Amino acid sequence: MRRSARDPVEEFEELRALLLSRERELLRELGERLTDKEQRSHDVAAVLPAAVKISREGGEKLSHALRPAVEDSIKTSVEKRPQLFVDALHPIIGPMVRRSVAESLRRLLQSLNQTLENTFSWRGLKWRWEALRTGKSFAEVVMLRSLVYRVEQLFLIHRETSLALLHVAADPSMTQDSDMVAGMLSAIRDFTRDSFQVSDDSALEEFRVGELQIWIVSGRSAYLAAAIRGNPPRELRTALEETIESVHVLKGSALAQFEGDASVFESLRPEMESCLHAQYATKEGGAKTRAWLAMLAVAAIAIFGIVLAVQSQSEWKDFLHRLKTQPGLVVTEARKGWVSRSEISGLRDASTADPSTLAREAGISPSRIRFQWKDYLALDPASVMRRFEQRFPLPKETQARIENGVLLLAGSIPYEWVDRVRREATLIPGIASVDEQKAVIVYDESLAQQRFQQQLGLDEAVHAAVANGILTLSGEASHRWLARVRAEAIKLPGITSVDDRAVIDLDQRAFEQSKSIIEAAFIYFLTNKDDIATEGFAALSRLPDEIHRCENAAKQIGLGITLEIHGHADAVGTEAKNADLRQRRANKVRDFLVSCGFDSARLKPIGMEQPLNAAAGEKPAPEQSDRRVAFKVVTQPVPAAPK
Amino acid sequence: MIQKKICMIGTSGVGKTSLVAKFVHSLFSDKYLTTVGVKIDKKTVSVNGAEVTLMIWDLAGDDDYQRLQTSYLRGTSGYLLVADGTRAITLDQAIEIQSRVAEAAGPLPFLLVLNKADLAAQWEIDETRMDELTARGWKPVKTSAKDGPGVEEAFVELGRLVTQSI
Repeated sequence: MRRSARDPVEEFEELRALLLSRERELLRELGERLTDKEQRSHDVAAVLPAAVKISREGGEKLSHALRPAVEDSIKTSVEKRPQLFVDALHPIIGPMVRRSVAESLRRLLQSLNQTLENTFSWRGLKWRWEALRTGKSFAEVVMLRSLVYRVEQLFLIHRETSLALLHVAADPSMTQDSDMVAGMLSAIRDFTRDSFQVSDDSALEEFRVGELQIWIVSGRSAYLAAAIRGNPPRELRTALEETIESVHVLKGSALAQFEGDASVFESLRPEMESCLHAQYATKEGGAKTRAWLAMLAVAAIAIFGIVLAVQSQSEWKDFLHRLKTQPGLVVTEARKGWVSRSEISGLRDASTADPSTLAREAGISPSRIRFQWKDYLALDPASVMRRFEQRFPLPKETQARIENGVLLLAGSIPYEWVDRVRREATLIPGIASVDEQKAVIVYDESLAQQRFQQQLGLDEAVHAAVANGILTLSGEASHRWLARVRAEAIKLPGITSVDDRAVIDLDQRAFEQSKSIIEAAFIYFLTNKDDIATEGFAALSRLPDEIHRCENAAKQIGLGITLEIHGHADAVGTEAKNADLRQRRANKVRDFLVSCGFDSARLKPIGMEQPLNAAAGEKPAPEQSDRRVAFKVVTQPVPAAPK
Repeated sequence: MIQKKICMIGTSGVGKTSLVAKFVHSLFSDKYLTTVGVKIDKKTVSVNGAEVTLMIWDLAGDDDYQRLQTSYLRGTSGYLLVADGTRAITLDQAIEIQSRVAEAAGPLPFLLVLNKADLAAQWEIDETRMDELTARGWKPVKTSAKDGPGVEEAFVELGRLVTQSI
């Protein structure tokens, strides 16, 4: 019972000491460690890295907890010891700034180059037109057109639930609901697989909508859906496959245990964003070649244009030369219109040829020229000549030219033509006189005859003919007419002489007849007296009329007459007595005629000599025929009567 | 934020799409239903103070012409089983569909919705049927896609059901 005699408390303490001595030792050591700050620091330092790692994997709690302290401490450090930070950051910031500036400059240059190219190239113009047409901004069109491909959006989609785990987009403004798009994408995948009965491990890999195509890259628990604009290379699929594999490696368990919380996949964002590739068209050899071709084309067009311009200018010069050398045209102003119509103004003589013809000859369409001509009279020889010829068409074998205002004629010239020319040529401005010294004037005989008839008239009893310049007349004509013809016919063109031998002068004949009547008349006297015998009176009574007739006829032929009155006596009686008798008898008749009104000055009484008897000494017999008065008509030209 | 895929399941004409339309503003057109057989919408609801985003897969109605595409059920966290309260037959069909869904996708939380509650006069589901459903352990919810009552609550309740396991 010794056992029971012992104090139960002591026994219990002893038992505890026996049983827990080792644990007590441990507790003591632990207590020492906990109270030993240095030791505790060592312990924490040993587990801290692992603890931080675990904590970060579990979420952002540690970061959130540390952030204020770290921020404060950095702030305090910067404020108190800025040099420390400057020294620390200097090696980083220097190159960073340099690189940033260089990059900015490079981008600026590139953008400038692109702008220049896009602005002045054909393609640039095309894009501008497209921008105008579609209402897009030019920059947008440039981006879309120069784009080879661009991954615009990337969805990471949970395979089982079809929920979007992560969505990244090149353009942050793409605000479609990624969850619903991901769901619908999954539905479409399922739909295609169900609809076309393909095996379970097959799935929709890509589809195209306009310029956009959707590539789907599957992983075990999730898949990537990439919306790509343009034509991506096959390598892009490899890159996407690598990405989805990497996603599975990094987040394999999270994917397998996914319960609807996508936030754990947020850390994959950088990885996903690195898949938002884009490649733009580079302007290399092709572009350069095209540029060269374009330049060559432009040069060719320019050369072609220059050639055309030179040719056009040459035609224009030629035309102007033609115009300026054209008599009767004076160009005062000429302006070539390259696009609009050319203009030419100046002076134009009415006789000048149409300038349109000259334009055609120079190869210029007259419709391309507007002429403004003012009328004027050209006095250069060619214009004057042209004007002359318009009025007087030149006969064959006739030559004409103008020299110092003189119309020089040569060759054989019809009289009628030259006659008009003589009269009218000087009416033409530029012709002062006509010189026909070197010309041979030819006459048309019928026209010459016509002219003669018109000029001098022609009695029906007369026939006229012109041959070799000789006017031959036949028939009967008045003396006055004949005298005019003789005087004037040769003055007529085409008549050089007159042959009137075959023409009877009617007035001459009347005079001759009257004269012979008078000179055949005898007035007989009584024997030994100056008394007119009875027979004498009969004759004497007829005499005054005949003398009047004779006087008139003589006047017609331009003559005046004096009537010689010859007194005769027979041989009986003495000579003295007879002489007296003869004179008295002549006087007696003269007195009678004076009494009849004749001018005594025109009457010449003459006692005629007694003719000697044939047989001298023979006694003369008294003969009545000797006792007579006879007449002689003496003519003398009539002096021209004063006008 | 938690996301959950849920499905709208039921015979044609029971008002699945109308329920969704009442609940959310759609991104896609209803045309998808007849072409792809599914239309997806999204609605964020608050369950016990936590936000849950419901990705609502509105599946084309199951009928003689178009069978339910069970592949669309993959990954779903739950579903609204929709029947038309004015046509008792749709309830029978819903029960039949439910068993098919359970077969294809496994036991999933779901909520039976008896739609068209606004048409009380034509209501065909009597108390006996309701008791029978309760006996199955189902908790039918009456909704009116036309007027709105019950719709929000049905989705929130499903949201609660599908996030319960978390």
